Amino acid sequence: MYRRTFLKIAGLGSVAVAAGCSEPEKTLYSLVQAPDDMVTGKPSWYASTCRECPAGCGILAKNREGRVVKIEGNPQHPINRGKICMRGQAALQGIYNPDRLKTPLLKENNQWRKLSFAEAQRLLKEKAAAASQKGRGRIGMITEMAGANLLSLLSQALKSWGSPPPLVFEPFAYESLKAANHRVLGVDGLPSYRMEQADFLLSFGADFLETWLSPVEYGIKFKQMHSVKDGRKNLFYHVGPYQSLTGANADVWLPCNPGSEAALAMSLVHESMLRGKGAGLSEELQKIVAATALPFTGESAAQLAGISIEQYRLLLDRVTASRRPLILGTGSGSASKNSLQTNMAANLLNLVLNPDLELFDFNNRHSIEIADSRESVLKFFNAVDAGGIDLLLLNNVNPVFALPPRHQIDMILQKDALFVVSFSSFLDETTQSADLILPTRLPLETWDAYSGKLEIISMLQPAMGRLTDAPHLGDVFLNIASSINAPIPPESSYKEYLYSSFIEKRLAKSASDWVLALRAGGYFEASSRGESVRPKFAKSLSDDFKNLSPPAETGLTFIAAPSLRFYDGRGANRPWLCEIPDSLTQIAWQTPVRMHPQTLKQFGLRQEDIVHIQSRWGSLEAPVYETHSVKPGVLVMEIGQGHANYGRYAQGAGVDPCRILPDDPNAPDGGPLLAVSPVAIKATGRRLKLAHLDGSRFQHGRRIAQAIALKDLTTGPSRAKPGVTLEDFPLTLPIPEGYDPKRDIYPPHDHDTYRWSMVVDLDKCIGCNACAAACYAENNLGVVGLEQVRRGREMSWIRVERYLDANHPDKTLFLPMLCQHCDNAPCESVCPVYAPHHSNEGLNNQIYNRCIGTRFCSQNCPYKVRRFNWYAWEFPSPLNLQLNPDVTARSKGVMEKCSFCVQRIKFAHGVAKDEGRPIRDGEVQPACLQACPTGALTFGNLMDPRSRVRKLAADPRAYQVLGYLNTKPAVIYLKKVLPEI
Amino acid sequence: MTIDSASPKLTYANIDQTVLDTLRPATRPYWITVALLFLGVLLGAACWLYQIFIGIGVGGQNNPVAWGTYLINFVFWVGIAHSGTLISAILHLFRAGWRNPIARAAETMTVFAVCTAGLFPFIHLGRVWVVYYMLPFPNQRGLWPNFLSPLMFDVIAISTYLIVSSLFWYTGMLPDLATVRDRAGGFRKKIFTILSLGWTGEHEHWRHFSRTYLFFAALATPLVISVHSVVSWDFALGIVPGWHTTIFAPYFVAGAIHSGLAMVLTLMIPLRKIFHYEKIITLSVLENVAKTIVFTGLIVGFAYGTEYFMAWYSHNIVELETFRWRALGDYRIPFWIMVTCNTVIPLLFFFQKIRTTVFWLFGISIVVNIGMWFERFVIIIGSVAHDFIPHAWGLYRPTAVEFGIMLGSFCLFFFLFVLFVKHLPSVSMTEIKETVSAGENHAG
Amino acid sequence: MPAEHHVMGLFTEESRAAAAAAKLRESPWPLLKVHSPVPGHNLAQALDSPKSRVGYFTLCGGIIGFISGFALAIFTATRWSLIVSGKPVTALIPFFIVGFECTILFAVIGNVIGMLTLTGLPRYDNLRYYDPRCSGSHFGILASCRADGLDGLTDFFKEQGAEVKVFD
Repeated sequence: MYRRTFLKIAGLGSVAVAAGCSEPEKTLYSLVQAPDDMVTGKPSWYASTCRECPAGCGILAKNREGRVVKIEGNPQHPINRGKICMRGQAALQGIYNPDRLKTPLLKENNQWRKLSFAEAQRLLKEKAAAASQKGRGRIGMITEMAGANLLSLLSQALKSWGSPPPLVFEPFAYESLKAANHRVLGVDGLPSYRMEQADFLLSFGADFLETWLSPVEYGIKFKQMHSVKDGRKNLFYHVGPYQSLTGANADVWLPCNPGSEAALAMSLVHESMLRGKGAGLSEELQKIVAATALPFTGESAAQLAGISIEQYRLLLDRVTASRRPLILGTGSGSASKNSLQTNMAANLLNLVLNPDLELFDFNNRHSIEIADSRESVLKFFNAVDAGGIDLLLLNNVNPVFALPPRHQIDMILQKDALFVVSFSSFLDETTQSADLILPTRLPLETWDAYSGKLEIISMLQPAMGRLTDAPHLGDVFLNIASSINAPIPPESSYKEYLYSSFIEKRLAKSASDWVLALRAGGYFEASSRGESVRPKFAKSLSDDFKNLSPPAETGLTFIAAPSLRFYDGRGANRPWLCEIPDSLTQIAWQTPVRMHPQTLKQFGLRQEDIVHIQSRWGSLEAPVYETHSVKPGVLVMEIGQGHANYGRYAQGAGVDPCRILPDDPNAPDGGPLLAVSPVAIKATGRRLKLAHLDGSRFQHGRRIAQAIALKDLTTGPSRAKPGVTLEDFPLTLPIPEGYDPKRDIYPPHDHDTYRWSMVVDLDKCIGCNACAAACYAENNLGVVGLEQVRRGREMSWIRVERYLDANHPDKTLFLPMLCQHCDNAPCESVCPVYAPHHSNEGLNNQIYNRCIGTRFCSQNCPYKVRRFNWYAWEFPSPLNLQLNPDVTARSKGVMEKCSFCVQRIKFAHGVAKDEGRPIRDGEVQPACLQACPTGALTFGNLMDPRSRVRKLAADPRAYQVLGYLNTKPAVIYLKKVLPEI
Repeated sequence: MTIDSASPKLTYANIDQTVLDTLRPATRPYWITVALLFLGVLLGAACWLYQIFIGIGVGGQNNPVAWGTYLINFVFWVGIAHSGTLISAILHLFRAGWRNPIARAAETMTVFAVCTAGLFPFIHLGRVWVVYYMLPFPNQRGLWPNFLSPLMFDVIAISTYLIVSSLFWYTGMLPDLATVRDRAGGFRKKIFTILSLGWTGEHEHWRHFSRTYLFFAALATPLVISVHSVVSWDFALGIVPGWHTTIFAPYFVAGAIHSGLAMVLTLMIPLRKIFHYEKIITLSVLENVAKTIVFTGLIVGFAYGTEYFMAWYSHNIVELETFRWRALGDYRIPFWIMVTCNTVIPLLFFFQKIRTTVFWLFGISIVVNIGMWFERFVIIIGSVAHDFIPHAWGLYRPTAVEFGIMLGSFCLFFFLFVLFVKHLPSVSMTEIKETVSAGENHAG
Repeated sequence: MPAEHHVMGLFTEESRAAAAAAKLRESPWPLLKVHSPVPGHNLAQALDSPKSRVGYFTLCGGIIGFISGFALAIFTATRWSLIVSGKPVTALIPFFIVGFECTILFAVIGNVIGMLTLTGLPRYDNLRYYDPRCSGSHFGILASCRADGLDGLTDFFKEQGAEVKVFD
């Protein structure tokens, strides 16, 4: 090392040498005895369940040499069918998070002292014993959403201490939806929806592509419902004061006044009943509904909602014309006081339009329904505040962050009389104010079972070696609880507890049966437990609609929107989630407040001004983002950032909108209110440079992201005579057929059996960025951080470009942009050292260790998809353990870019060679394609005339971005289809 | 033509005297200047070291603007390098006598400017420690550079240009070196004896020398044109709107000569003052340079116009947007600086009053230098910042490190030049003697 | 005393030097060298010296350079035959640039070599019968004679209006 430092100092001459060999030191260990399921260089896959949100998608965790390097969806899993969202990908950055706590910590006069896990558990046991001595109910517990087995174990343990079962706290608990289902359908819970079977979709704010109930599941179903089928395309209307990502994907977004949704929905009930709908309902029920809906006429509702009567009529026609419509209520967060009524109205509308509710699945409900309401959580804390308990156990919940500050949860937790134990692995706001932190294992390291939906059981199993000695939460309780009446010998592990309870419930008949379930990922056949639920209707509904609170016509309304990236904020310390920009604003690392240009004009504001927002309950300051995707007078901010504590990536990033939300739950349903009105705003005079990745929001007529009207598609596009301009340049496939002496100077070149190519269907892309996250995980992309993103140095190999319609800036087009692997790639010939060149399978290779960093290739790439390593990006330990061993981690000073996941192609080559056959169509799945929930991406061999890519390339919608440059891109795009409105 | 205007009293003897006087032992102010310039060089070197260890990121480059001031300065200095050879070679072929007094200094400027320019591709590289990958030498990896790449054209062209211009410079200096040898004593005599290779000015020497010099000029002329054409192809062979145009080669050559001549004035006017060259480097010489600047300025201006015409004529919306944005967009200020400094202000030289006033000559030469730097900024930065994919558009701003390196490069150039003027004959005595009409008594 | 005497006549004007040189060539005294500060046309005529042949060196250099430039480009391109930008592996048009630059480079090198060979430079033993003023303002004509002819030669130079310098 000294020699090297000497060389480094020894002047420019020797700098080259010195810098050249200053590689990071590595320590290589070789396994003397490898575990039997591990072959060095071969991945082993473990089926498990994603626990990043309550949806409970099935995953396959890819394990290389004892560490998980990638998460992919489990194709057999009924919820996500092999797909996975960006939050799921980022679970890896939970286990490998550099801020993860490795040992228990005990707070002694505001200093954290390290404990051994044994000590910590002993201490916990004492405390529990002491508390239970004092009397009944002296121990309280709040847990995140968890599997039935774990919950019952927790309850038993608490019971043994004479305390009530744990409170299940989820910030998004769908109180209003549950209440509505109870009052209208008599169902206590959250039925799932057969969205894929609908022929018309109307949402009053349900953001089912981001956070609502089960985003991946509904993302898949939505595109099944929404894709072009035999010349038809089903419509999706989104009604709400702002565009969520879901709203941006709607065919029509009706911007309505906040709080007018309920009236609007009821008026639709009213009007459609006038049009003779709802005949299928019982006389009595018809009466009730008609009576309830009577006051809500179309005109009044439209006027109330602030939408034109024409738009309203159009909507009504669509609603009544459709045969199998599905109406969804509000989103994960209730955007207005009337969310209960909105959801009720939505249910009623479903009833009226489709009396036997065939699109509802009342048996296979979403298990998040067991989460306790915000009201009860607050009650609980009041009780705690009143000194009701001595010992409080917190399992991966962050009420201090999630609940409005006025409740001062942190103060309550810090009371001396109360001993708070947190089982969290991260030092977030809540954990910060605990007395004892006893980190427990994270889902990817544990045995467990979880049901995202009631009729399936999804298994969790350790997918990697342990990074810490943290015990499983179940083991902790088996250990400390005095008497657990389980059919297992004492001192046995949670795994055995789990297994025996499966045997007991006859779920697993034998050990082998259990292993098979583990391998498959769980029990997926609809084991309908209990009788099938039938809706039974309430007698009177009108009272709820009597006290409908009027929408805020005057003043500004502030809405905190659940976040695609951070969910309720738990994702805020995952570098990928911060780095990958928000789909709609294209802003990374920051939380701007979205405002309509009119509003800005009204207050003399500009984008990037920091504005001070004051509500009755608090105030905050945030930078302004100008957009047409919100209604004038509406301010929208994403929930999730602005953590006081949590970790290096979360701290100081963004702002937390929840701090100015109303304290008290919404009266009728006891759920939180994520909207507040009125709010006062004023400019602070300060500005903040936004880290937005888009150079321009518009295409400037360059036909990059193209759309085609449905009728043009069905009538067949009038193919103009091919020319050589931007407008009329024909599709030129990157194969010899694509060459034409009239256009090409140079002769075509052949490829060796394969010519890899990708087809991107813009009609399927919902802009969810799952592809980008998957790419970060698969290809060891560097995370550059806020400042470097501002400087335009993000490293994403695939980015979802967001373009607005120049004429209708509230209409959005998403276009995934990645290396186009051109046949005549401009980047190749300009490199002086052949670092980029054309492979014999058509790939545009980039040889990192040959690259000298002239960056000419990037300058000459029309698509600007090449990424340069401006620095040596850091992977703070243990994040480095996530790096994919099949992909080189690039050093500073070299160019990189999408490789079509060449490592996967090579792997497929190996397999095919072993089996003595060519690679099958669809056998190679690049990471982005694997993750994409809607199947917008297709990958394959263009030289095979029967391959799917080749067939899709013949689609009339097929085109190439900037094709007129005649680079012959191997990425073929399919135009988005715009149905008749 | 001859420089009759000022040479009734100009004899061989006092030509030698004037030039040799400049080689007298230097004074303190001189050495202070040298020291300061050297400090500047060290500063630049320090910035470069820092960049090598931390990463190119310390500069302002980004995606899409991956080329920054390093390439700007590269093209700028290569441009400067051009008029040297132009003056000594092309004007030599044209028998333009007024080039003789400034030829030597101009050639020197060329050599040093090429050296400075040659540094920037290295500074620019992401991994300078593997720069030898660009050299075509047999290696155990069996790997070779790609001669389809404009950057390889550069490597060949620039290195050829450096070698040729240095040889040209040295060969042309041989007789003068002999003169210095014959007037010097002691250690300096020894050095100059070696340097002058035993030149005695005997007839055989002159016979071959003149011929060689002629061929030199004949070869350097196409070379100088080809080199800057090649530099322009670094861009013109790219696909980027604003780069991808056939006019670039002549456009860049003209621009190069434009900046080169300006730099000649910038250097000559102080030189003339300090070393009392007024009799040799007469006002009419400077005036001739000024006239040429007007000419090149007009060519450059025409090129600007042509680019806009092409954009309009092409009906290509990408081209149109690029050039609209160039004049009205985020980088409009550099653009208008470029236009004003390079084409408008030089037109003042149409007035004889101005082109014969040393003050104006000097001032305008500086202005043109600035303008030419910004021309490179507008072309290199402005084009990629705003090319095909609107979503990828971005801006670039140089950082302190880049300015440090830029300052270092200027210091390096002037450092070398200042050393030169005090230690080698900065005006070619032989060539002046040739222009002085022979016949009368030269002993004076 | 030496058998040979070297005598140099130093002129201040080229015309006179040329005339003297011409006369001297008709005289018995061998004209050894003519030194001048600048290449003189009159002198050249007086000595009617042939054209320099340095050009052949230049030409050879140029031809070698042209061939080797192309050869280098083609050789390197065919080592791996990588396709870049869909161009042929040996693309002659771009390679012409390499060929051209090499032509110039080698021609110039040939040029210099030519001059050095023909002039016999560098050499440092030729300053014996030399007068420093010849590099300044004087034209020196060096002739030699036997001891007995010394006076005659000096007189000859004198009447040509030269300053005479006798080496021995």
